Amino acid sequence: MLAYLVNLTTLVAINVILAVTLNFVIGYAGIFSLAHAAFFGIGAYAAAYVAMHFTTDFLACVAVAMVLTGLVSLALAMPALRVRGEYFVAASLGLQILAVTVFTEWKSVTGGIGGVVGIPSPTIFGRPIVGTTAFMVLALVCLAITLAIIAALVRSAFGRNLKAIRDSESAAGAFGKQVALIKTFSVVISSSLAAVAGALYAFYLSFINVESFTLDTSVLIMAMVIIGGAGTLAGPIIGAVLLLVLPSALSYLWFLPPTEIGSIQQILYGLALVLLMIFYPGGLAGALTRGAGKDRQGDREAGAVKA
Amino acid sequence: MTEKILLEIRGLSMRFGGLRAVDDVTMDLRAGIVTALVGPNGAGKTTLFNLITGHLAPTEGDVTWRGASLLGKPSWMIARNGIARSFQDLRLFTHMTVEENILTVMERSSWLWQPGGSSRRHAQRAKVEEILDAVGLADKREVRAIDLAYAERKFLSLARIMATDAEVWLLDEPASGLDRGSYERFCALLRAHVDRGITVCLIEHNLDIVISLSDRIAFLDQGRLLADGEPQSVLNDPHLSSIYFGERAA
Repeated sequence: MLAYLVNLTTLVAINVILAVTLNFVIGYAGIFSLAHAAFFGIGAYAAAYVAMHFTTDFLACVAVAMVLTGLVSLALAMPALRVRGEYFVAASLGLQILAVTVFTEWKSVTGGIGGVVGIPSPTIFGRPIVGTTAFMVLALVCLAITLAIIAALVRSAFGRNLKAIRDSESAAGAFGKQVALIKTFSVVISSSLAAVAGALYAFYLSFINVESFTLDTSVLIMAMVIIGGAGTLAGPIIGAVLLLVLPSALSYLWFLPPTEIGSIQQILYGLALVLLMIFYPGGLAGALTRGAGKDRQGDREAGAVKA
Repeated sequence: MTEKILLEIRGLSMRFGGLRAVDDVTMDLRAGIVTALVGPNGAGKTTLFNLITGHLAPTEGDVTWRGASLLGKPSWMIARNGIARSFQDLRLFTHMTVEENILTVMERSSWLWQPGGSSRRHAQRAKVEEILDAVGLADKREVRAIDLAYAERKFLSLARIMATDAEVWLLDEPASGLDRGSYERFCALLRAHVDRGITVCLIEHNLDIVISLSDRIAFLDQGRLLADGEPQSVLNDPHLSSIYFGERAA
């Protein structure tokens, strides 16, 4: 049971990093990206490649993964954020599909469908990280650092700029905000931090393949953000924990046929999303922190008057 | 008119397909006075603002600020030159608090650390307090803009402009829909800022406000500037009155 909890905690930590970083762009910058799994994947493959060919030093692998992912996201964001929001959704979807093709076909680096096997254990300052408990601690430390960075950014002038742009791009521009630059930078920060989750994932499983980085994963991470509550610090954490623990919890319900749990899970996710959109557009975190009725009215009105 | 010219508009035109929203407009904004842009709906008043602030690129003509052309500059750069504007539909940062709405406008750097260190931060705090008191929103500082009442939103829109260091304020119907008390408070605030040297250009339909506030009136109709002069001479022109009230009644 303990081993199970350690495993679940590690996976939750990795997914919370993904959800929190996606929420940074969705919730604070108002940029809907469908390519988060692609950035997660680029980080994972980059870290695995460095570990297998150059060094197993965790920090070096993470650094390479972050820089590479940041550059790819920059290439996506620079042209796509100069135009209206819908185009970024389309462009990010394109990148996600392209990334899956590259992950599948660039066999010398990604191992194709078979993936990369035998990724060595990482080391930190020369000391190997061995065992699931040590790895869980590493994942939690990475999560804590990511959360601290995001929280600091959100509360800074940069965070206020993002929120201003989210609420009204034209007004933000009229008050001297460099809208395209700030949005581009937010996407690069978000993607680079998602690469940390990728590196952790690659080292933890010591095996990665394209199946973990498909559009389904992007949608799942987005569901974590929306169900939890976009634009809040706690929301994506709640969402990620809920969506990862739910499948395990379902398996304890004796009356559900074990073979059908997968599809029941999908139905529940869909139902939860629809009900939240109707009753609590601010997500679970929004419902917990505010008088839900008032928030609903405000959010609806925001949708109606948004410039 | 002896006031210094801050902003020169020369032969400015904006065509949307066959429609000439702004048609060969030439006028100046003079320092330290209130210029009212008056005209029936669709006269091109807001379009003129959009052309000055870089939200639209003119099809012809030029706008110069202290002698340098603003043509082709993005809106954020024009804003940083010292031209602030408000919007008819306000465009507040709806999900941010009143205080954040004001603070974010003051922060010149987009990044984590602001230049000037703690002394500037303290000065900024003091200015936020001053503005909140002036617009009567001190007790609403933690309220999100979306949750404010209508008049409060209008004052927050003005507060954002006050928070800038801009020398020129372009105000798009800033007092429309205000009750008597709020309207008087608004006029007093605006007058106080003009006395301190702010140059204002406002779009307004309420002629009482135009008469009580403006030093100069520019009359636009169908994109063309029909008159530009002292308030009384423009408002007493029977031809302009017939256009204004004729259009309004229609």
